[in-house]
This record gives sequence, C-alpha cells and structure tokens, in this order.
Amino acid sequence: MTAVRRWLSEPLLPTLLLTVGAVAAAWYSPILTWAIVGGLAGYSLSGSV
Amino acid sequence: MGLLAGGVCTATALWLVSGLTAPIPAAARHGVIIASALVFLARDAGWLRFPMPQNTRQVPQDVMQRHLIKGSLQFGFEMGTSVRTYVSASAPYVLGLALLLAGVDYWSALSAGLGFGLGRAATPLSRLTSTDGVDWDARLIGRLPVITIGTCLVLAVAFTVLFLRI
Repeated sequence: MTAVRRWLSEPLLPTLLLTVGAVAAAWYSPILTWAIVGGLAGYSLSGSV
Repeated sequence: MGLLAGGVCTATALWLVSGLTAPIPAAARHGVIIASALVFLARDAGWLRFPMPQNTRQVPQDVMQRHLIKGSLQFGFEMGTSVRTYVSASAPYVLGLALLLAGVDYWSALSAGLGFGLGRAATPLSRLTSTDGVDWDARLIGRLPVITIGTCLVLAVAFTVLFLRI
C-alpha cells in the first residue's frame, strides 16, 4: 500500500475532516453544522455493524 | 441510498416528536443537550458506566443474498435507522436527544439525518480505500476511543456554539 493510499484510508481522517468542518460551520451555517454533526455521529459507529 | 433513507427516516421521526418538548424553556433544553454530550463522553471514556437502549441484533447477512439490490437497500436502510444494530458509541444518542430537544426546523433535522447516513457510509468507503482490510480493521480498533470520545467532545462544542448563536 502506498503512503498516499495509507493516509487516505486512515480511519481517523473522516473524524478529523468533519471536526474541522464543524468548527468552521458552527457559527455561520446551522444547517451545514447539523449535517456535519450527523456525519460525525454516524461515523462514530464504525466499530459496529 | 439505503443509509441516507434510514438516517432521514429516524431524523424525521425524532423531529416530529420534538414538538412535544417545545413547552420546555429553550435554555433548559439546550443545557440538557450539551450536558448529555459531556456525560456520554465520560461513558465512552469508561469513566461512567450505564446501559443505553439498543436493539442488540444485526441485520441478517442473507438479506443481501435473497435479492442483491433490494437487500442492499434494506441493509443500508436498517443501518441508517440504527434500529437493528449494535450501538457501539454514544454520539448517536447525543444526536437523537439533540433532535428531540433542540427545536430545530425540519431542514436542519433532515441535514442531520442525511449526514448520519453519509457518516455511516464513510466507514466502508474508508476501508475500501485501503487495499488491506485486515490492516484497516486493526488501525480502526486502535483509533476507536479517539473517534468516539472525540466525537462527543466536538458535539458538545458544536452545540454550544449553535445555541449561543440563536
């Protein structure tokens, strides 16, 4: 696996990106913030099926 | 598609019921949401232990064997609703409580439901991006505490900012 692919498939990456998004959106866009919060909650269930 | 539909279904149901909480002062409702995020953070960190309701069953694998497309939609829908799954993190409970108490418009609830479905889809997508599923699983297990605890913390902060903004 290449280093780039390994980085792109980092399990923590979605949480990190969504966290940055939530911080950026929270003051300016409530609807987008709710979408990101939903995404974070959904991804947090990664350990279950 | 199924995941998105399932997320929207649950979010819509919670939003419809949320009208019953409208008589409670907004400050109280918002305080409960933020406090719950911190309580559930403590739960995920292992500092507090208490059970939460969940239907501890999995969607049967043969759902997809009977009919691939319909089965995949059904599987995704049930995962998106989180009605038949193991809830291994507390953030979905925070989100559900927030949808019940926050008093948001339907577009916000819909966004949350769609986001939830996309978030659930991100897991298999991330795993597919890796060429070594076993390695990805091992990396995920090591990062799950950060993901679950961190998510509750981000939810607490995001809701605090959202409610201060109102």
